[in-house]
Amino acid sequence: MRLTHWLSALALLILTMSGMQIFNAHAALYASDASDFAHPALAIGGGMDSRGDPKGFVQFGSRRISTTHVLGWGPNGYGEEGPRAFPAWATMPPQQDLANGRRWHIAFAWIFVLCGLTFAPWALRLWPSRADMRALPHALRTHLLPWKVAPSAQQNPLQKLTYFGLVFIVVPIAILSGLALAPAVDSWAHWLPAIFGGRQFARIWHFAAMITIIVFFVGHVVMVALTGLVNNMRSMITGWLVVPQSAAAGGVVRPSAADEPAAKVPALS
Amino acid sequence: MKRVTFISIAGSTLLTGCSGFVTSLNDNATVRKALEVPERLNTALLSHGHPLAREYAESAISPDFRQNGFDPPSSAEYGRWSATGWAGYRLVVSGLVDSPRSYDLAALRHKFPRRSQITRHDCVEGWSVIGKWTGVRLTDVLQDCIPKPQAGFVVFHCLDDDGTATRYYESLNMEQAAHPQALLAYELNDRPVPLKNGAPLRLKVPTQLGYKSAKYVNHIEVVARLGGHNGKGGYWEDRDYEWFAGI
Repeated sequence: MRLTHWLSALALLILTMSGMQIFNAHAALYASDASDFAHPALAIGGGMDSRGDPKGFVQFGSRRISTTHVLGWGPNGYGEEGPRAFPAWATMPPQQDLANGRRWHIAFAWIFVLCGLTFAPWALRLWPSRADMRALPHALRTHLLPWKVAPSAQQNPLQKLTYFGLVFIVVPIAILSGLALAPAVDSWAHWLPAIFGGRQFARIWHFAAMITIIVFFVGHVVMVALTGLVNNMRSMITGWLVVPQSAAAGGVVRPSAADEPAAKVPALS
Repeated sequence: MKRVTFISIAGSTLLTGCSGFVTSLNDNATVRKALEVPERLNTALLSHGHPLAREYAESAISPDFRQNGFDPPSSAEYGRWSATGWAGYRLVVSGLVDSPRSYDLAALRHKFPRRSQITRHDCVEGWSVIGKWTGVRLTDVLQDCIPKPQAGFVVFHCLDDDGTATRYYESLNMEQAAHPQALLAYELNDRPVPLKNGAPLRLKVPTQLGYKSAKYVNHIEVVARLGGHNGKGGYWEDRDYEWFAGI
């Protein structure tokens, strides 16, 4: 599972970058089954303005936010800038290339799903128990200041709920809404695009799932860093985590606990 | 050096380096081969049987059926045909068939049952439009010409080109060609197919992405296998897109 953790992290990176490549081919989302070209829910666009200056923007409904040089107008992968939704450094392949973006995306979708299956035994233990819900207010109070937390081999309720949301809500939405974009899948399962509000709406769900996963990723990395980068990385690579002895024994983790003699315990795997 | 300048230079160098690496990865022949494995998996899982694409009510039809693919052919002949109600146009069926035939539009309209379907057209770029297509079932035309037992694929040769005289073409295997919704359409939304949408005759395969639905079809060739002058089985297939366009 440690191997598949890193492999799925790589798969998510490639899925995000190749997904942005695919999005660039038609940089607009519609809250419907077919596209209502005049009324996108979200669009990224760009070009020259009346003064001949490059402009890039993100459009939500009728509101436009200027994003020149990053979104809508930015690096095109040939050492210059041009009209382009997501910039070359964020897409895979960097240059505009829908065909190969699709190949990377579909290949790593398979790899991600196969890796995900190896997480099943761990994932089943994420189902929140009553004790978790009871412990939640306490966890909220203590964990909003993350630097007060010592490393622990146990998951706290907040962590558990976050992983639960990711594994049982966000990732299934990402996979199912992605499948709903495939006409051959839709002809087997008419209900699939329907549960997302239609095929174009499924693109919104797919996009939103990506954003949520990016937010999780940032939070995940910040948490790993704040709770002890070296120790956490060691546990993620070797499977062993160093924790204060009182925590290993199941005691309450206090900030001062970090001063106590350390013990090695198997990390969650 | 100012810290901001340093960070932006370091950042862009890093990103450019990454982009270079990703590009070389993408251009690597072994990587390309590896990326084709999941395509074969998808084809094996999804390309069999005849599941029907969803058919919609008239009220769902999009106000404009956006053009996908190339502009109408620019040849003088095509111009003349379109100006004279397609008087000179013929659909030719050749190759591995017992009776090669050709049909004008009137023959297609009168010889075969008329079929209509309101289906969604999903472009590989990501957009969708809904339209009502009317025409004849591809399988009815093929049966009229009696394919030989060794027939493996149906290749659709088209009148449009990419501006460099490379013509558009597409292909289906015999099982896909027998799908009841695979249509040779002469009407869109109860009117003759507009020029931009593939007049006078367009293939419509609603279970696959839009590029499979070849426009301006004038020649159907039944072959044992793809390759040779039929490349990887389609204009876009020759440019890295998947032959099975179901995803």
